[in-house]
Amino acid sequence: MPKKNLNKLREKIPLLEDIGKDGRVWSDLCKQYGVENPDPPWRITLESTCEVLNEGACALPVLERRDEEDKLSEEIYKDVPYPERQLLALAHSMIKKGFFREEELGVQMEKVYKRLSAGT
Amino acid sequence: MSKSDKHDHNAAPMVDEISDFEVLEVAVRELCIEKGLFTQEDHNEWTEYMHTLGPLPAGRLVAKAWLDPEYKQLCIDDPVKASLEVGIDWINSMPSKFGTPSDYCNPRILVDTPTLKHVVVCTLCSCYPRPILGQSPEWYRTPNYRRRMVRWPRQVLSEFGLQLPEDVEIRVADSNQKTRYVVMPIRPDGTEGWTEDQLTEIVTRDCLIGVALPRADRKADDKRPIHKAVHPYGH
Amino acid sequence: MSKSHHVEKATGIGDPQCFKGEAGKPKFGVGDKVRIRNLPDIFYTRSQMYLREAEATVVKLVYESPPAEDEAWDNTDSPEWFYSVLFRQTDLWPDYPQKFAGDTLETELSERWLEPL
Repeated sequence: MPKKNLNKLREKIPLLEDIGKDGRVWSDLCKQYGVENPDPPWRITLESTCEVLNEGACALPVLERRDEEDKLSEEIYKDVPYPERQLLALAHSMIKKGFFREEELGVQMEKVYKRLSAGT
Repeated sequence: MSKSDKHDHNAAPMVDEISDFEVLEVAVRELCIEKGLFTQEDHNEWTEYMHTLGPLPAGRLVAKAWLDPEYKQLCIDDPVKASLEVGIDWINSMPSKFGTPSDYCNPRILVDTPTLKHVVVCTLCSCYPRPILGQSPEWYRTPNYRRRMVRWPRQVLSEFGLQLPEDVEIRVADSNQKTRYVVMPIRPDGTEGWTEDQLTEIVTRDCLIGVALPRADRKADDKRPIHKAVHPYGH
Repeated sequence: MSKSHHVEKATGIGDPQCFKGEAGKPKFGVGDKVRIRNLPDIFYTRSQMYLREAEATVVKLVYESPPAEDEAWDNTDSPEWFYSVLFRQTDLWPDYPQKFAGDTLETELSERWLEPL
């Protein structure tokens, strides 16, 4: 990866950094609620998102995504466990590639949170 | 009324809390759809397929081969055809109907012998025989495993609890192109007279990657510690 | 050839199976000794650095396919033979312990990466 792009990738994204710091990871939730499933329910849908991004228009090729995930996992998100880290890295790559903005993601998260809290 | 009130007291426990990560996963997916990067239908189709995946078919393939020398030969000569007998169609069961860069349709079964032990790695990313073995474990994806397995295989294997004598050749298969490897270990002692179902239970995921050997008394993989990379990127 | 063309061609047949018969006569056979070329990889490759200039033995002709260097750009016009080649670990890593001189590593390379020894 050219140095300029690598530096850009390494710039932190406050929204994602906060989620990495404050978000409750699956292993903690499992302990609290006595759940034994090793994977959070969203892991499969996350994997599917990664797959479909590599298909058709191929917005994010698989090797590029994995390469960026490796870099981000060793730096910005190194203290976040897997698969939470994979999710943060994907969101990070998508923002850095300009598919959506950090603010847009924040707004969308608010909407999703309201819906999930009300809908169940 | 909280979520849990709707559930019967005997139901399996569930996490009654919406985490930021859960919200983030949905939000990323919805934005991708809104931006036209893929459709909800494409996504649903993949999710449905992913739910069918796991290590059991590969375990059964090995168990069958242990019991049937002709089938074992088929595993070596035509793994795509051999996979059909354990319910896996490498070509047509995937939503794409031809494979993807993660799942090219060229499986290969690496057959261990008393003097040859195979182990699989993908140094470039984390290519894995997903159609027949399910999602790769976390340690398989770490740069630590990927960089060190090709360089110090005996040391890495011993960290997995597997020490092999000098006269056993260790052969590392680096899955860098379109072949997806599955290891066929040797049938362990103490399994004489076992059925295919019994044998399938001891051929765990780690045995099929090659970092463990099947044992008559073990039906689940040991928990693996995750090591951080010794030399991170940029160093 | 566009990516959609490749999709059409591979559907129901599989990738790399859909390129069968397109690479011509293979230049190497099982048992041949080869050296891995150190070609420049300006844009994209899947041939790892640690194999460059090492000696190996062809152990299997695996399939025909466009090389990764072309496929990354959706160029599927020139499929090549792919070979599974076997290295001795002591040839790859100078400090690999001699008492484990029997240890090996197997991986795949397309024809352009191999030269006869």
